[in-house]
Order: sequence, then structure tokens, then C-alpha cells
Amino acid sequence: MTALSFHTDPTLLLCIFAALLLPLLSFGASVLTPRQYSWLVSFNAPLLLLVSAICAAVALTSRWNDDPALFQITWFTVGDQPLSANILLTNTSLLMLVVVSVISFLVHLYSTGYMAGDNDLKKYFAMLGFFTFSMQGIVLADNLLILFVFWELVGFSSYMLIGHWTEKLAAGQASKKAFILNRIGDAGFLVGLMIVWANTGTLGITELLSSGSTYQWQTAASLCIFCGVIGKSAQFPLFSWLPDAMEGPTPVSALIHAATMVAAGVYLLVRIHPLFTPMALTVVAVTGMATAIIGSLAALFQYDIKRILAYSTMSQLGLMVMAIGIGIVNAALLHLFTHAFFKACLFLSAGSVIHALHRAQLRAHHHFDVQDIRNLGGLRQNLPVTFLTFLLGGASLAGIPFFSGFLSKEAILAAVWSTDSSVLSWSLLVAMVSVSFITVLYTFRMIWYIFMGEARKPLPVAPVEPPVIMRMPVVLLALCSLWLVVSWNPFDFIGWLLPEAYYTHVAWVTAFSVVWIAAALGVSYFVFRTARFDSNAILENAFYVDAAGSKVLGKIVQISATTASHIDRKWIDGLIHGSAYAHITIAHITGWVDRTLVDGFVNGVAYLSKGIGAFTRSFQAGKIQVYIFWAILAIIIFLIWTLK
Amino acid sequence: MQQYLLSGLLFTPLVAAFIALFLPSHASGTFKLVTLITCVIQVVLLLLMLSVYDSTGGLQFVEQHAWITLDLGSWGILKAEYLVGLDGLSLPLVSLTVGVMLITTLSSWTVEKNVKGYFILLLILNTAIIGTFAALDFLLFYLFFEFMLLPMFFLIGIWGGARREYASVKFFLYTLLGSILILVALIALYISVNDPSVPGRLVHSFNLLHMRDPKNFISNAILDPNNPWMIGPLSARYWAFLLLFIGFAIKLPMVPLHTWLPDAHVEAPTPVSVVLAALLLKIGGYGLLRIAYPIFPEAALYFSWLVALLGVISIVYGALTAMASKDLKRLIAYSSVSHMGFVLLGIASLTIEGVTGAVYQMVSHGIISAMLFLLAGVLYDRTHDRVIDNYSGLAAKMPVFFAAVLVAFFASMGLPGFSGFIAEVMVFLGAFKSGSANGLLHESFAIIATLGLVLGAAYYLWALQRMFFGPFHVKGDAAAIALTDLNNREYSMLVPLAIAALIFGIFPQPLISWINPFAQHFSDAVLTLGKSLTPIH
Repeated sequence: MTALSFHTDPTLLLCIFAALLLPLLSFGASVLTPRQYSWLVSFNAPLLLLVSAICAAVALTSRWNDDPALFQITWFTVGDQPLSANILLTNTSLLMLVVVSVISFLVHLYSTGYMAGDNDLKKYFAMLGFFTFSMQGIVLADNLLILFVFWELVGFSSYMLIGHWTEKLAAGQASKKAFILNRIGDAGFLVGLMIVWANTGTLGITELLSSGSTYQWQTAASLCIFCGVIGKSAQFPLFSWLPDAMEGPTPVSALIHAATMVAAGVYLLVRIHPLFTPMALTVVAVTGMATAIIGSLAALFQYDIKRILAYSTMSQLGLMVMAIGIGIVNAALLHLFTHAFFKACLFLSAGSVIHALHRAQLRAHHHFDVQDIRNLGGLRQNLPVTFLTFLLGGASLAGIPFFSGFLSKEAILAAVWSTDSSVLSWSLLVAMVSVSFITVLYTFRMIWYIFMGEARKPLPVAPVEPPVIMRMPVVLLALCSLWLVVSWNPFDFIGWLLPEAYYTHVAWVTAFSVVWIAAALGVSYFVFRTARFDSNAILENAFYVDAAGSKVLGKIVQISATTASHIDRKWIDGLIHGSAYAHITIAHITGWVDRTLVDGFVNGVAYLSKGIGAFTRSFQAGKIQVYIFWAILAIIIFLIWTLK
Repeated sequence: MQQYLLSGLLFTPLVAAFIALFLPSHASGTFKLVTLITCVIQVVLLLLMLSVYDSTGGLQFVEQHAWITLDLGSWGILKAEYLVGLDGLSLPLVSLTVGVMLITTLSSWTVEKNVKGYFILLLILNTAIIGTFAALDFLLFYLFFEFMLLPMFFLIGIWGGARREYASVKFFLYTLLGSILILVALIALYISVNDPSVPGRLVHSFNLLHMRDPKNFISNAILDPNNPWMIGPLSARYWAFLLLFIGFAIKLPMVPLHTWLPDAHVEAPTPVSVVLAALLLKIGGYGLLRIAYPIFPEAALYFSWLVALLGVISIVYGALTAMASKDLKRLIAYSSVSHMGFVLLGIASLTIEGVTGAVYQMVSHGIISAMLFLLAGVLYDRTHDRVIDNYSGLAAKMPVFFAAVLVAFFASMGLPGFSGFIAEVMVFLGAFKSGSANGLLHESFAIIATLGLVLGAAYYLWALQRMFFGPFHVKGDAAAIALTDLNNREYSMLVPLAIAALIFGIFPQPLISWINPFAQHFSDAVLTLGKSLTPIH
């Protein structure tokens, strides 16, 4: 890392803090809005986010390609070791700042339409703002502990948003699962922090990177921190919360998948990958590969429109993680960037489909599961705009030329190609190529099912496009799925975002990509136009990783919990009660001893003395004759004794 | 003036209790008012003290008077003093006590049965708790320590729930056992320690500060560090440490000496639960930090692995048992066991992070557990039912209550932004670092303890899911009607606690700068002194 300029440019500082804190302000404002004015939040929340996005954009333009800048803030000091809450500004962090705030703003805007009439708008917009704030915190933090703080807050916000509709039991379960699986990863992350702290005495990322020191436990530390990434970025084996999280409102899914949650893991890897040992990086790459394959295969066999998208996210994240694992960091970041836009576009378009059909169902009093793609069809006529945006987003996801996804995927592919040939890099290459192929298949399967053909369950009332407030953000996102966001040349990924030639652009890889994608398109056309994929239980359940994991883990925890409770009641309390009974028994015995022996003796003595008393008393019964008798007797004895 | 502030804080409730004694018992409102005014006076006194407290100044507000001086001729002089003072350990806990007592008083507003007796006991309890934290003379400490037991016994036994007699007797016996163990150590220390301030005479002193210095031990007395005398495998000093440790561990409570806690909590009325969880448990940790560790440092080092192991067991075991609990209050009680395990782990690490974390955890748990028990009380007040499975979908019916429970639960599971996070992270960092910094604890202790984080999330979120999600349903129609959202009095108790938990979570520096000098001095002293004393075992 180059020398840091300790910038204190007040305007820049203001912009950064505004971008960071305005979403928090939106949270606070939403919480404090009185219930009867809750409609207010759907105005002020998007407005605040808009300002936040503008501030982020200003900061980005003013510092683009400058040296990294560090704002130093000390959070607290333990002993003599300060824990800093520094803010690091680099191209990467500023770009992410903009992506997060822009997508969040668009999602806010979309939500005003999508969530209109919801009972708990206050909570919804509050948490949306908090979610954004937490993610901005991760983006700017230059200290692993601060990053961890926001990391956990992201988990909390996702819990609240996934479980937004509290009356849905499934929402409660999904949100719980998301938080607990994330917590498992976070526990690993925390162990990583402990190792780093014990060995280096600091948690500042810049400090750690610049010191470049190595220590004994470094592989363990890297892998532990990677556990956090596995949880947050839904990598194998902690991915199952991601498809389940579809129980939340669709705009939330868009936010989770595009900018604010799963991106956090990849972003963290981008920041700290130099701290990872080569062995740890291999694990990262293999995990990413496994996730990419599982995700794409599972996506191919889902019927729920949101679950397809969820598994597709998982698979794309796998690609990014894999790329970082073999050192292709900038390409991974590029893919994170393009993915944010086209995935948000796809989710919001899916949301529009769901929204439109729901409203049509309400009017027609005819109900079926609108998220099941087997119930849909032919929607291109009723929802032309949504069809178009979905198509653009899908094309970018599939990696069709002239779309951003093509360029970012190609950047990864070209880089994988140019790494040293080894078993690992070859298997990664094969995985990457197959995943790209499958991506095309499931994307177009989805499009064919939803938009093409005829409606499978026709509604008496035709669905209509959602309002402008919802269409506008989707259209913007769809436009951002075009190649122009990456570079001016649709076949060369080296452009504004990868300005220096990090990787050589291999022409024939591009050519191969084009042919390969075309082949995949052809296959998907012929397979899904007419025939249907039979359901495949193994793939539909993503190889039962979740079922097995949840069952086994749940069982273990359940058994340990009941055992612990049993020990508590039967053993510990049993011992206490036992000793209490022993005490009582002893007390009874001593009581008996007291009554029969001690009291017996005492009573015996008393009885004896009573007997004697009765005997002596009989001498003094008050009869004059008796007194005279004894007196005379005594005198006689006395006389006998003296006269002797 | 300044040096009397602490005594003022300490005896105001006792004076108020004395006044209340002479008030007519039918005027129940006056007792509430007297107690409330007392608490407000205490708050004012505390603020005065905080404004002059110097965080780097060591012991402050010290007040020393002769209390009992008995000349026993050739046996020396028995000397007990009224010696009180506050440092970075006791000041946070005294502040916590004052704050929680105010909230407890508000929470006691609904008490109807024998109001006079209730509030007098509460006032006595107040003095006893502050006295325990302030006393620097072991006999004085012990007096206050025992003084706490009686009001607590009656508060549970008279104002408690259905099985209150069982619970109160169990509480009493457990605590009495602990007291006896501490008493034995107290007597042994009394016999062994000489007050150096009176030259030429043998003065048996209870001064805790004198007990810390090995030079003050009478040579060849039972607890003299150089005494080669062994009882079984260990020397008397190690046994004395164990006696104190067990005595305080019962208070903490530590697994397996914890089963009085769930019963006491379940049966105790809400305000008493709050005092119990927020304040009484802290005395266990306080006793270890103030008495057991500094006086027997070599034994503390020797047993550090045991302390940490029991801490980790408490963390994991408490969390597991909480998960199996069907009663909401029982769940919270076991979560207390789990969270107090962090105190043990932090103390055992003897690193500055660990000890700071342990003290921070005591304050943080005091705030958060008060919130948790108040919330359990909110539900119980309305329906007289605490069984988790009897509720469903409460979020829609009581949204504000839901929000409050969310705050309390997430604060308790250590979400960043709340005080518990700072405490637990510091304990983790300290416990892990201990392996390389002073070689006391193996790294695996800290790693296993992270299970507590995951299990903590699991039992709280599971309870949330069962009680608050899904369609609204409550067992019994009357209960459904009785379920109204929080009222203003409940607000006024919960909001300050939530704000306190947030402030200590977001701006930890002030509290840490109080605790840090203590933690630094404590861990250095125990480590250097402990290593310098010849290990006899």
C-alpha cells in the first residue's frame, strides 16, 4: 500500500459522513415518526437516501484515482492499545459506497410503490435505512473490529427485513435461520479477530497490510475470517439461508442480493486477501467453486421465481470468491459491481411481476402461487416494460455480449486462463465454463416460463404494469446492465473501472465466450421452448446440504439442550434435594433421639424426683395428727441419741 | 464534605427505612414516595461523586473510622474498621446499583401486598448492596454481604409466586453455604494478618488492603505464604482461595452451583428479579476481583484454568439449558448464567482486555438483564402466564412491546451497538491472548466460548419466533383481552435502560477509562505477586 495521505478536506469529510449517516438518520426518523403519520416515511426515507447517494457520488468523483486517504478516529483504548475506527477511502471503497447508496435509493423508491398499504411501513423503511447504514459502515471501515460491528448489524437488519411480515410463520423461520447461520460464520470471524489481535496487537486493516508480518497461526486466522464470509456471502456450506430469505419482501431481496449483504463477504475478501496465506486462498477458491456449481445446478431446477434468482446469486458469488481465491481480485470486484446492478434489476422486475399478478388476483378473486413459474406464462403482452427490463437483466446475468455481465465474467475467465496451469486452475476453468453455460440455461428457462408462450393459469382480469415509481428504478437498473458501465468497448473489459491493464485481454477467450454463450442460448431455446425439465429432487434441494445440515445440527443442539436441562433438574437439583432430604432424615433421627433418649432421660429424672417429692410430700399433708406423730417420733429419736 | 459522600449514598436508604418504620402502614403511597425520593437523592449524590471522580486516582472517597477494637491481651488486638472507598471496579457497580434501584422502585409501584414491609426491605437491600461494593474491610464487607440475604429471602418468600417458599429456602440455603465458606476464609485471614500501622503490637486486622501484601502475614500463621504446612495436596492458602471462589461462584452463579437462580427468578416478583439479576449476581464477580484474586494471587494463577473452564462450561451449559426452557423467565435466568460465565473467563485470563471485559460485562449484564426481567414482567402482569408456547403472533398485537423485546434480546445476545458486545469482545480478545501473553489459558477456552454466541442467538430467536411470529394466539380469552401494549410507567423504566445499553455500546471510552486503571493494576499485581510467591501445592 502506498503512503497514505491524511486528508482532512472538510467538504469531502462532510460528503462521506453524509453518505454514511443519512441512512441512519432515515432509520431514526422512521422510528420516531408517530404511527398515524407513518405515510410520511415513504417520502422522507427515499429522499434521505437520494441525498446520501449524491454525497457518495460527489465523494467518488472528487477522489477518483487519488491516493488512498485515511481519516483517523479512535474508538476506545484498552490499556495502551487503541482500537481505531478509521475510515479508508480508496477507489474500491468509494465505488462501493456509491453502488450501495444508489441501489439502496432505487430500492427505497421502488418500495414506496411495492409496500404501499403495508401495516408497518415505519419498521420497513427504518430497517431499510439501517441496512444501508450498516453496509456503508462495512465499506468504509478500516478496522476489522469495526467491520465486524457493521457486519453483525447487517445480519440484524436482514433478520428484521426478512421477518418483516411477522404474521407469516415461514418469515419467522427464515429470518431466524438467516441470522443463526450468519452467527455461526461470525463466531468463526471473531476467532479470527482473536488470533490476529493476540499475534499482532492491532486490528487495523491498513496497519496489518502495511506491516506484512507473518505469524504462526496465520492460516487459521485467514480461514476463521473466511468463515464469516461463508456465512454472509452464502457460500458452501452455510448458503441455505439465502433461498429461504425469499420469504421477505421482494425489494429487500433485491437489496440483500445486490448491495447490502452478500456483497459484504466478497468486499471483505477484496480488502484483506493479502493477509491470507496461500493455503487459505486455495480453500477460498475451492469453496467458491463448489458454491458456484451447487448454486447454478440448484437454480436450474427451482420453480419459485425468487428462489431461482437466489440460487443464481449464490452461484455468482461463488465465482467471485473463487476468483479472489486465485488472486483475481479486481475482476471479482468488477463482477460484484456489475452483478449488483443486474441482480437488483432482476429482483425488482420479478417483484413487479409478483406485484402486478397479486393486484390482478385481488380484483379477480382468483388465487394461485404467483411465484411459481409453472403458473405463469405469456406475460410479455401484459407487462412489456417489465419483460424488457427482465430480459436486459437476464441477458447481463447470462453473460450475453453487449451487457456488463459479459465483460465482468470475461475478465475473470481471461485471468483464470492466464494463471499458471495446475490441477486447481484447470478445474476452476472447467467449473467456470460450465457454470456460465448453466447460467444461460436457467436464465432463459425463467424468461421462457414467465414471459413467453401463453398464460398457464389465465386470470379473468389482465395484470397491468406497476406504477411509474416502481418502473423507473427498474428501468434505470436495466440500463446499468449494459456494457457501458464497464467500458466503451463491448468486447474489452478494460475501461473506466479497470483502468490499468491488470490482466491481459485475450482476444480468443472473448471469441470463445461468445460462441459458448451462443451455444448455451441455442440449447436453452430448444430445451425450454417446448419440453419441460422434470423436477429433480436432489438438485431442487441443492444436494440436501441444508436439510442434512439443519437436521443434524438441529438434532445435536436439541439433544444437548435437553441433556443439559436434564442434568440441571435430575442431577444438580437432585443432589440438592437429596442433601435436603438427608438433612431432614437426620433431623428426624435426632428428633427421635431427642424425644426418646434425651427427653426420656430428662423425663426419667423428673419422674424420679416427682416420685421422691410425692413421697416426701406425703409427710406434709397438713394433718395435725401426722405432724404430732412425726414430732413425737423425732423427739424420741433425739432423746435416744442424746441419752445414749 | 467530599469524603462523606459515599457514606451518605450508603446510609440514605437505611435512614429512609428507619423513617418508614414509623409511618402508618395503611398509607401505602407514602412508602413508595419515600423510596422514590431516597433513590433520587442517591442519584444526585452519585452524580456529585462522578463529577469529582478522577479515573486515574485509584481509591477515592475513602472514609476510615475505628469500628471494633478489642484488646485481647496476649492474643493481640482485634481491629475491624469502617473502611469504605471506591475505585475503577466498585464505582461502576455502585453507579449501576443506584440506577437499577431507581428503576426497581418504579417497577415496584404495583405492589399491593404489605407495602410497608416491602419497601422497607427494599431500602435495607439498597444499603446492603452498596455497602458490599464499597467496603474495604473484610468484616464490614461480610456484614453487608449477609445483610443482603435476609431482605432477599423475605422479598421472594412473601411477595413471590406459587412455589415461592421452595425458591426462597433454596436461595437461602445455597447462599448460606457460600457465606459459611467465605466466613471460614475470613476467620483464617483474620488470624493470619497483622496490621503494620501499629508497630510493636500484634493487631489482627480485617483490612482488605493489608491482606493483599504478603509482608503483613504473621509468620507461620495458617495463611502465611511461607508456611510449608499442607492440608492434603494443597497448602492452606490454596484451600482458602477455593473456599472464597466457591462462595462467590455460588453468587455469580457458576455451573454447577447455579440451580438456585432459575427457581428464585421464576418465583420472585418482577422488581426482585431485577435486583437479583442486575445487582446480586455481580457480587460474585466483585468478590473474586476484590478479595479472592488479590489476596491469594499464587492460588489464582494455579487455578486459572479451572476458573476459565468453569466459565466456559457456564457459558455453553447455560445457553443450552436456556434453549430447553419452556418458561420465559427461566430462559432469561439461564441466559444470565451463560453471560456471567464471561465474567469468569475474563477474570481468569488476567489480561487487561479480559479483566476490563469482565467488569464491563457485569455492568452491561446489569443493565440488559434488568430490561429482560422487566419485559418478562410486562407479560406476566397481564396474563399471569410465562409459558413461551402459550403465546404466538404477539408482534401484531403489541408492536411496541415487540420492539422492546427485540432491543433487549439482541442486546443480550451481544449485538454490536449494545454494551454486551464490547464486554464480550474484550473477554474474547483477552482470553485468547492470555495463551501467548501470560500462558495461563489455552486458546481453546476462548474458541469454545464462541459457541455461546451462536447458542445465544439460537435460543433468543427461537423464543422470538414462537412468541411473536405467526398468527396471533394466546391461551385463554381473558389473556387475549388483557394483552395491551406498554404503558407509560413501563416505558419510563425500559427506555433509560435501553439508552444506557446503547451508550455503553457505542461510546465505551468513559466507562473503560474508569475500569482500565483498575484492570491494569489488578492483572499486573496478581501476575507479579502470584509468580513471586513460592508455589506450595
